[in-house]
Amino acid sequence: MNSTKNITGSLSPAGLKLRDNCQISVNPAVLETQYATDLMIDISGTKPQIRRGKNGEFYIPLAEEEFLKIVPELSEKGFVLISLFCVQDFEESPCFTLFYIFRLNGSTDVFAFMRYVKTETTSIATLFPSACWYEREIRDGFGIEFTDAFDKRRLFLHEVYPEGFHPLLKSFKNGKIQAVENPEEAYPFKQVGGEGVYQIPVGPVHAGIIEPGHFRFSVIGEPIFNLEIRLFYKHRGIEKLAEGKKTSACVPIAEAISGDETVANTVAFCTAVEKIAGIEVPERANYLRGILLELERIYSHMGDLSGMITDIGFPRMTTPFLILRENIFRQNELLTGSRFMRGAIDLGGVKKEISGEALSKLNLYLKTFVLQFESAIEAVHASSSLIDRFSTTGVLKKKLIAPLNITGPIARAAGATYDVRFDHPYGIYEDITPERAIKTAGDVLSRFEVKAAEVINSTSLIKKLIASIPEGAIISETIEFAISNIPDGYVLSMVEAARGQNLHWIYIRRGVIDRYKVRTASFCNWQAVEHAVLGNIVPDFPLINKSLNLSYAGTDL
Amino acid sequence: MNASFLLFTLLNTGFILLVSPLFMSLIKKVKASTQGRKGPNLLQSYFDLRKLMKKEVIYSPNSSGIMRITPYLNLAVLILASLFVPIVFIPEAPAGIGNIIVFLYLLAIERFFTALCGLDAGSTFGGMGSSRLMSLSAVIEPTMVIAFAALAYVLKTVNFHEMFAITAGSTIPKSPTLTLISISLFIIIIVETGRIPVDNPATHLELTMINEAMILEQSGKNLALIELAHAVKQTILMAVLINILAPWGLATKVTFAGLAVSCLYFLVKASLLAGVIGLFESSIAKMRLFRLPSFYMMAFFFSALTILMEVFA
Repeated sequence: MNSTKNITGSLSPAGLKLRDNCQISVNPAVLETQYATDLMIDISGTKPQIRRGKNGEFYIPLAEEEFLKIVPELSEKGFVLISLFCVQDFEESPCFTLFYIFRLNGSTDVFAFMRYVKTETTSIATLFPSACWYEREIRDGFGIEFTDAFDKRRLFLHEVYPEGFHPLLKSFKNGKIQAVENPEEAYPFKQVGGEGVYQIPVGPVHAGIIEPGHFRFSVIGEPIFNLEIRLFYKHRGIEKLAEGKKTSACVPIAEAISGDETVANTVAFCTAVEKIAGIEVPERANYLRGILLELERIYSHMGDLSGMITDIGFPRMTTPFLILRENIFRQNELLTGSRFMRGAIDLGGVKKEISGEALSKLNLYLKTFVLQFESAIEAVHASSSLIDRFSTTGVLKKKLIAPLNITGPIARAAGATYDVRFDHPYGIYEDITPERAIKTAGDVLSRFEVKAAEVINSTSLIKKLIASIPEGAIISETIEFAISNIPDGYVLSMVEAARGQNLHWIYIRRGVIDRYKVRTASFCNWQAVEHAVLGNIVPDFPLINKSLNLSYAGTDL
Repeated sequence: MNASFLLFTLLNTGFILLVSPLFMSLIKKVKASTQGRKGPNLLQSYFDLRKLMKKEVIYSPNSSGIMRITPYLNLAVLILASLFVPIVFIPEAPAGIGNIIVFLYLLAIERFFTALCGLDAGSTFGGMGSSRLMSLSAVIEPTMVIAFAALAYVLKTVNFHEMFAITAGSTIPKSPTLTLISISLFIIIIVETGRIPVDNPATHLELTMINEAMILEQSGKNLALIELAHAVKQTILMAVLINILAPWGLATKVTFAGLAVSCLYFLVKASLLAGVIGLFESSIAKMRLFRLPSFYMMAFFFSALTILMEVFA
């Protein structure tokens, strides 16, 4: 059933000539590769070599001149750059392999273009602005210079790290490093000038209990005309940590990427490993994963909704949301033993059975939850002073969404429809999907509305899942054998976390993880804040920032 | 200086200093209960002041003498202003005490030094708070002038003591227009004490602050003095409103019973007013910074309306 769905999905973009051929019965696998090949011929004029990844993604190795030719074409055709990362020694290649991951609106397909580079290469950031941070990340991690890049500043390794320090190189061994004291070159922020223009530096230490980030505002009086953010004050080296580890030892690492995306990241990691090892996740486990994923979305959105109201100084309106959020945490604890659902997901399924009794209790609670939530939302709508603060504040323009690859509810509040659960379905979403919530204004109010609607949609989905959950095993029976005999391979896996599209790419070599690349939604979405605040006044910044709900930990791995 | 005024100085100042922190806690308590929380102990403000008094004062190396004198100066100015607003009884005051124009200038001095102090340490947020306060003051000061002018016009005097002597003893406001002025006075309390919808005293978001931003660099004993001065200012402004709108119980002669009744009545009335302020703060969101002048304009409108009504009545 799934494969048919995939074909129709694959054929939808760009109204390709293959659409007619679809009627003829052809082996689906052949047809899909054929489609990708045709698309590539259409774009580049030459027939490339295409490999199908284990999660359905297309890998296309390109020679340098082919790559340079194809990039402007991709940009013209509206492809979205969703990730860019570097792998050393990929399939014994003597050079570095850069993976440029693209997707096309309306298509379920993901294309990974592979480019082979030595220590120098060229930038694509002028055509794909979202490449900028990735290229700086690769420069820091591997020492590859993007010679014509417009922004060559450091990204995650700040000036205190010594020159020539590139921790993601295979030759790099963990150990003590000597921090540079009083680094000579300071990070160059964009300078502004003129009468009445000044800069406000904020952070990295903040008054609230939040993580570190530096914000450099350039303002004329109160209106902001430029904002530059600097993050990465707490680099943990998660990608390096995973290297050389067995897949089972890496589950806790995936859980720790970002506290409130625990389930989403673990599911993405486990799905990737399961695809490589050819493990079939039992039906019941898929349902349970779906329930936990949606619970995570609910409590995360509840935090945003209450946070937005707190930031405009309306604590009385906040309380109902905080109470409901706490109740969801308690449900999480009853179901999994952990308020943040740590340790619930495991390779091949879920770690612990969740009894039918606990599920029906959850079902019962959700009924009360929806009633109380709806009355809280009604109170919000009835408050004109609140709506006045939300409406027209921090508008995110739709035209920025594709170039910056902004995803999640904040993109859906600005008119985008993209949602991994629909566009690249995984697990239970292959069979059951929630309703969509889309707004077009792109302001704080739209983000509030979209998140509120998603909370309701998630509760309905959970109810649906509980009603139809099958009995059976919760973990694949052959899991231990499959994991200990995991074949070499690589795979791309995506999930829709509460904040948007999270992407995990795993490369297994000789039974251990050789490269683990994680890109959470926040890595891309952070750049949205720099644009959404323009023209707004400084005291509205906390509200706009909160409405975008960006994770520091998820960005700084 | 006569004996009655000396007694008034001691009693009035002592009483205001003593009860001011209570109303701060009371407002917090009311706000907490609207949010379904228990809220702080009613004596918490006193505990906080005691704690801060014991703490070391830290000065930024960039700061000047302004930072050092402002806490003392502000408290002194507000104690002086408190003499203008009788709470315990109405004394025979020397000339000048009770004059509403002097009163306005005393509040302006306090505001001026607070703003200077915000700039003094050279931190990001202090300067931002000062510039916001000064911009908004350009709107609220004329509003206050109009409100007090309306008050003076209705009661035919520019002296608070004389005004309160006229209103005292009556159970309802002397003139219906005083109710309109009371609305203006209430808005002035909200603005001058930096409460929602003008400023959020409970926030940690420096970028949204006005009043709190200017005192971010203060610490220890100096912070305690500033907090106390803030509480005193609130009590004075509340007392103005109470003595105009609900004047009964204020003693005009010095008797022990009269003093006790004055104090007790004031405590009850001010607690009720604090409750109203707490409820008001809980009922709306903070306004956008640039929308604030329209909030002040409401006070301006009611005061101007009063003057018009009195002129044509």
